[in-house]
Parts: sequence; structure tokens; C-alpha cells
Amino acid sequence: MKQIISVKNLNFSYGETEILKKINLTINKGEIIGLIGENGAGKTTLLNILLGLLPSKNNVQVFGNRPGSLVARKKIGSMLQGDLVLSSVRVDEFLEEVAMQYSNSIPLEQILEQLDLKKHRHKFLKELSGGLMRRVTFAQAVLNNPDLIFLDEPTVGMDAQARHIFWELIEKLREQGKTMIITSHYLEEIQQVASRLIVLQKGKFIFQGTLKELQDRHKQTVITFTSEYEKCVFAELTGIINIEKNSSQVVIKTVDGDNTLKQLLSKYPDVSNIAVEHETLEKIFLQMTTDKEQQ
Amino acid sequence: MIKIMKQLKFDALRLVIRNKSFLFFTLLMPAGFYLLFTKVMVVGSNPEMHQFYMTYMGSMTIYSGVIGAIFGVATILKNDRDKGLILLLQMTPSGSKNYYISIYTITMLLNLCAVMVLGVLARIFNNIDLSLKQYFMILLIVLVGQVPMLLLGTMMSYFKTQETLSVACNLVVFPLSIVSGLWWPISTMPSWLQGIGKVMPTYFANNLLGKAMLHDQLDLEGFYGIITWIVLMGCMTILVIKIQQKKGLRNSEA
Ligand SMILES: Nc1ncnc2c1ncn2[C@@H]1O[C@H](COP(=O)(O)OP(=O)(O)OP(=O)(O)O)[C@@H](O)[C@H]1O
Ligand SMILES: [Mg+2]
Repeated sequence: MKQIISVKNLNFSYGETEILKKINLTINKGEIIGLIGENGAGKTTLLNILLGLLPSKNNVQVFGNRPGSLVARKKIGSMLQGDLVLSSVRVDEFLEEVAMQYSNSIPLEQILEQLDLKKHRHKFLKELSGGLMRRVTFAQAVLNNPDLIFLDEPTVGMDAQARHIFWELIEKLREQGKTMIITSHYLEEIQQVASRLIVLQKGKFIFQGTLKELQDRHKQTVITFTSEYEKCVFAELTGIINIEKNSSQVVIKTVDGDNTLKQLLSKYPDVSNIAVEHETLEKIFLQMTTDKEQQ
Repeated sequence: MIKIMKQLKFDALRLVIRNKSFLFFTLLMPAGFYLLFTKVMVVGSNPEMHQFYMTYMGSMTIYSGVIGAIFGVATILKNDRDKGLILLLQMTPSGSKNYYISIYTITMLLNLCAVMVLGVLARIFNNIDLSLKQYFMILLIVLVGQVPMLLLGTMMSYFKTQETLSVACNLVVFPLSIVSGLWWPISTMPSWLQGIGKVMPTYFANNLLGKAMLHDQLDLEGFYGIITWIVLMGCMTILVIKIQQKKGLRNSEA
């Protein structure tokens, strides 16, 4: 596997404020990294360091060079957190301007077609809605056919359909073997494409691994069913950490889904409408970040 | 070269052709001033007046150049930097070099346009007849004379906020124009002010233009003043940029 990014013991501060603390990170070709963290965690700062927009020492390497090197600039496409809404510039003019800076850019028509931007090509950037502008920014990020793509909150402001198109394109890029780092607050969508999740909190990685590993570590299953028993009777089941009852609907949370369910069914065969779910990434994430804060 | 041309087209469209206020301040306003002060406010047609018609054309050209460099370049660079255009270009293999070339070229071309516009007006309304050689001298002086101003505009683009920049622009352009004798003759000012005015880069350029138009000669020594300013401003600009780079590269995040 080819190593594309290597970060060793990276610290970064704005003045006196420490933003990133002892970050270690290796990313190989073809990996899709989902970088998640609360507002202000340092996600954008980390991306900017990898892009060479913020200074770093030689403990950060991108494509075997320092960030921002010519080699890196040729091979990277990036969608920054903010859109570049220039005055008096049309969509196609803007994309052409960016494409011109690369020797290997994808033909403009193809990009417009793929992103369903053809009918908007003559609009001024200022006239675009937030979601549409985000799509233009995405076009700008991929028009040099980059090997490594940084996407900082790419889907902000996109409607359901635009988001769907967007993730389909990401899927295609993944199939082409592109390496990506995606930050997002929409955890549900990121967990579907990411091959590895990284949780950044207050400048530290508090988790790195696959979704499965994350779920295992915070293994929680939610079982919902209808029953006429008092809720306290279920407390004796193994692994239970929480029980709630609303009229006849019972919601139990457990760290040992399989055994809880087996016991439940053998002891209370009359329960009905059973639904079993893994805890969503969203909830795990919330729990993780609040747990850490309490420590 | 093709890249520079494309960049020029991109910038000229958005900054000049679709942004009429820029044209208004750099071309129409100096032209309006010229007509106002040579046709409306002044009457009489002795040889002295004829000379004034000529030198005032030069002054308004320089004034146009100052506006373009200070209000134009400083604001454009600041806007584009704040919005992230310069950053975006820096992340590409070509970098931001062509962008800067394009902005300076456009501003200089506009100043050359001012020469043409004012030349035509002077000819039509005031019977000023300049030779081709004189026009070449004027173009040369105007181009070289604008360089210190372009450098100053570049430095000023690093002001933190849009508001301070706009105040600073006004504080530079108007006092500088007055003190260096662009609006009315420097001889009408108190001598201490003349002392200041006569070392300003715009005074040197204006003076050179006067000599080229009145005496048909290119006063090479007159360039020393401008060149000194170019060196001075150049060093200061490099310093300002170095300081900015140290402070942390990103100036804004939308
Ligand atoms: N130019 C700057 N100067 C000083 N502090 C900054 C600057 N830019 C960001 N910060 C601070 O650095 C911290 C990390 O910011 P960063 O933008 O990396 O967070 P983020 O994880 O991307 O957040 P979000 O989810 O809101 O985008 C924040 O506390 C922010 O206030
Ligand atoms: Mg961010």
C-alpha cells in the first residue's frame, strides 16, 4: 500500500492557543477518511496544514514532500469550507479560470455534465443558492482529476437530491482509487463511504478505526418492543444500561444485544413489535464527546 | 503567455467591463475634471492658458493612475485575498504569479487609456496638438511613474479591514494629489508644503510629463526621483509581505 500522507507528532497553535496536539496520522492510497469532530475541534486547521496553507515542520509529508509542494499541488483537489463567491463572474468562467491553472484538467463540459451544472453555467456566482454554489466548489475541487481530495464539509446547504448526486460521485471517485479526507457533520452519510473514521476532539484524535470498531467499542443495541409489564422487570436482563417506557412501548439499551434479546424472548414470550437497531454513529459520537468532556 | 492572456481576460471582465464604477473613477472623473477646469472655470486664451491646458492634461493622467493604483489595486487585492481567490490560486501548480501580473497590467492599461481619453479631449476642446514622439514619451513616463503607486497599493491591500483600507485610500489619494500639484499648480501653495510636494513620486512624474509636452524633451534626470521611490517602495513591500507571511498565512476563512 502506498503511503500518501504521513503526520508525526504534529502540534499547532494560533498564538498561545493550542489547536492541534500530538497528531499522528498515516493515510494510504485509496483510503476514504471520515474526519469528524465538533465545531472548533481543529478539522479545518488540520486540512489547511496538509494543504500547506498553514506552516508545519518537516513532520508532515504529503506525497513524500512538504505540504504545498509542486508535486502535491498537482495531485490535490480541495473543497475548502468556504465558497469562493466572486462578484461578476459566471459559473463556467470561474471553472475555466481554475482549470487553466492545471495542465491535466478534465474538460469543462464533462464536469458540468457530471455535476448537473449545465443549465446553470451562465449564472453569476452571486446568484447561486448555497447548495448550488457548494456544487460549483466541488466541481472546482475535482477538475484537475486529483489523486487526493480534501472535502471540508462538502454537503453543507445541499438539498436531499443534490446530496444524493454528490455521494454517488464520491462513490465513483472511490472506485477510481482516489484518496479522500472528508469532514462532515452529517455523520450518517459519511459512515457509508468512509473506510476509516477519525474523531477529533479539542485537537486530539480520540478514535481512529473503522465504523465497526467504533460501534464495537461503544457497542450499544437499542431494542424496542410493546409489552404490558412494568419497565423495572426488564432491568434484570444482561447488559442493560437504560430502560424507558411510554404507554406500552418499551425502549431498552444494552451493551450485549444478542444475549439481552435471547433472554427477553425466552422470559417474556408475549412481547411484540420487536425492533433491533445498532446505536447510530451520531449518538455514539455525541456520547463520546460528552464522556470525554466529563473526564 | 496564453495563461496570462486568459487571466487578463478573466480579470478584465469581472473587474473592469462588468464593474463600471472602476471605469468611472479612473477615466470619467479625471476627464470630467479636465473639462471642468479647462473649459468651464477658466476663460481666456493667452499662451499661458494654452500651456495650462497641456500640463493639466498630464496632471489628470497622473491622477487617474493614482486612483487606479490606490483605490483599484489595493481594493481588488484585498477583496480577492479575503474571499480566497489568491489562496485558491496558490494551491494550484501555476500559483498566483499570473494573477498579480494581470492585475498590474490591467491597471497600467487603464492608465494608458486615460492618456488616450485625455489626449482626445485636449485636442478637441483645447486644440492641443502633440506629436507621436511626445505621446511615446508620455506613455513611458506614465508607466514608470505609476510603479511606486502600484507598490503602495499592494502594501495597503494588507490592511486588516475594508473600512481602514477605505479611510487610508482617501487619506493617501487626496492629500497626495493636492500636495504634489495635480489639482492646482504647486506654486500656489505655501513654501513648506511645496517642499513636501516636490519630493512626492507623483510630482516627479507630473513634472516629467510637463517637460515632455512643453519642451518636447525627456528629462532623464527627472527619472531619478521616481526610481528612488520605486526602490524604497519595493523594499517596503517586500518587508510587508514577509511580515504578513510570518503572521500566519491565512488571512480569512469564510
Ligand atoms: N485564523 C485563526 N486565528 C486564530 N484562531 C483560529 C483561526 N482559525 C481558527 N481558529 C481557531 O482554531 C480552532 C479550530 O478551528 P477549525 O476551523 O480548525 O475547527 P473545525 O473543526 O474546522 O470547526 P468547524 O466544524 O466549525 O468547521 C477554533 O477554536 C478556532 O476558533
Ligand atoms: Mg471547519
